Amino acid sequence: MILGMTSRKAVFVAVVLAIALVLPFTIDPRGYTIRILCLMLLFAAMGQAWNIVGGLANQMSLGHAAFFGIGAYTSTLLLIHFGISPWIGMIAAGIFGGVAAFVISLPTMRLRGHYFALATLAFGEVMRVIGNSWSSLTGGPVGVSVPFAKPSLAMFQFKDTLPYYFLMLAALIVVTIIFVAIQRSRIGYRLQAIKENVDAAEVIGVDTTRTKIFAAVVSGVLMGCLGTFYAQFQYFFDPDTVFGVASISVRVAMIAIVGGIGTAIGPILGAMFVIPMEELANQAFSAQAAGLAQLVFGALLIVVILVEPRGFVEFGRRMVRRFRKGASR
Amino acid sequence: MTAPLLEISNISKRFGGLAALSNVSAEVHRGEIVGLIGPNGAGKTTLFSTLVGLHRPTSGAIRLNGRDLVGLKPHKIAAAGMVKTFQNIALFLDSTVLDNVLTGGLMRHSVEEARILARQCLERVGIDHIAGKLARDLSFPERARVEVARALCTEPEILLLDEAMAALNHVEMDEFLSLLRDLRDEGLTLVVVEHHMRAIMSLCERIVVLNFGQLIATGTPQEISRNPAVVQAYLGRSAETGAH
Repeated sequence: MILGMTSRKAVFVAVVLAIALVLPFTIDPRGYTIRILCLMLLFAAMGQAWNIVGGLANQMSLGHAAFFGIGAYTSTLLLIHFGISPWIGMIAAGIFGGVAAFVISLPTMRLRGHYFALATLAFGEVMRVIGNSWSSLTGGPVGVSVPFAKPSLAMFQFKDTLPYYFLMLAALIVVTIIFVAIQRSRIGYRLQAIKENVDAAEVIGVDTTRTKIFAAVVSGVLMGCLGTFYAQFQYFFDPDTVFGVASISVRVAMIAIVGGIGTAIGPILGAMFVIPMEELANQAFSAQAAGLAQLVFGALLIVVILVEPRGFVEFGRRMVRRFRKGASR
Repeated sequence: MTAPLLEISNISKRFGGLAALSNVSAEVHRGEIVGLIGPNGAGKTTLFSTLVGLHRPTSGAIRLNGRDLVGLKPHKIAAAGMVKTFQNIALFLDSTVLDNVLTGGLMRHSVEEARILARQCLERVGIDHIAGKLARDLSFPERARVEVARALCTEPEILLLDEAMAALNHVEMDEFLSLLRDLRDEGLTLVVVEHHMRAIMSLCERIVVLNFGQLIATGTPQEISRNPAVVQAYLGRSAETGAH
């Protein structure tokens, strides 16, 4: 057992990590592909952060863009106005993301299923509207640019895309470790209990309110920090992007769901599918007609969900079971 | 006599216009096994749910070791030492039997400690051989036992069992009754809702009878079986329903 993993799992993780570390050296370090890989890693990390609330607690948040956008604006505005390093800005971003998650979790905690999804969706939209209208703070719909600094790790700016790749990979690893640690802790068992039967969980001593708030806040903190990563990577963003329903909220939920909700590997698989597919659809169809790329991509997603509503992980498990059955015959 | 462990004073619970419980008062002493009986719809499950904090009583007081429990959330009441099982079985279906039971132990222990305790509870209830199964793959009698094991894993002072024996055959029931007696001998206090009169009569020192949300009798099994109001409640129900 290594870090609580079986040796087979540990080997698998080591191989995947080795590939992830070598892969960027095989492609153009300033090219387009590595940017897609960066986004893939970032969105995998975001899907993983969402997975703490959506997967472990089974609260289908459609408002995670709120914490993400708050994070992106926090570190960027601190950098613009006070010259504060984005790393310190990221801590502030995490704090604001966590506070926002705490505030929104109080009224929405008792809501279940669709009601929770709608309430969080509305919260994300409120943040987008605020971002667009409070121009004196956010720059409004025009968006903000991250001021250029001398490229360095301290200022979270680099000439090449390669350093971003490794930072995104590190972020994904950290968020995944946090996810797994929560899943295996008392909190993880409590969240599982809440997910399956709230009343029974309470009766046998689970403080369901506190547990849900804890999950929401951790998720919000991580989303806020990842907002900083996004800002430093893209250099420019506007409220409609970072607070967007389709661009962030639904996308991160979808990544976790398509991959395998509530599992550590789910959001990673989800991002590996969703982000490149989106890009491919864009490349192949955006020249033909407006919206065609999105239509094709949407249709593709529908097919995936119809074939395996519980995501790639469940599909994989089913294949393994079938294979074992076949082998034992 | 010492002060009662559980003291229920004039508990009423209304759901809209329906009085599910009206002025119910009862006491349970440490180390007792008390039976709670009554026809269907008498308010037994409502009383249990109210005691553990799933419902807030419309009026009245509930004291455990002298501490008022009204208004506390169920997890606080569990921490105070009172836990119930669910009549309709409320397991965590996608979790293993061990994880179901273990979750009960997390209130007072780390995951590792709770796992050891959960194993002991499963052994106690006689289902350690199915620890690794998913709860959804269990038979009904097995599920009922997991309910009990999970409640035991919270290390309660007083355990409320809501028809935990409903699906057991004769042999299983005798085993279960002797388990409950053993638990009592180790210091656990039990309140048992059960339709099986034979089980109730042989198990309990004292029986409390509810009918239409009201307490109509309390006494030893012999007293209860001879009580005219109880006989009326069980046998004359169809005649009485017309009057209501």
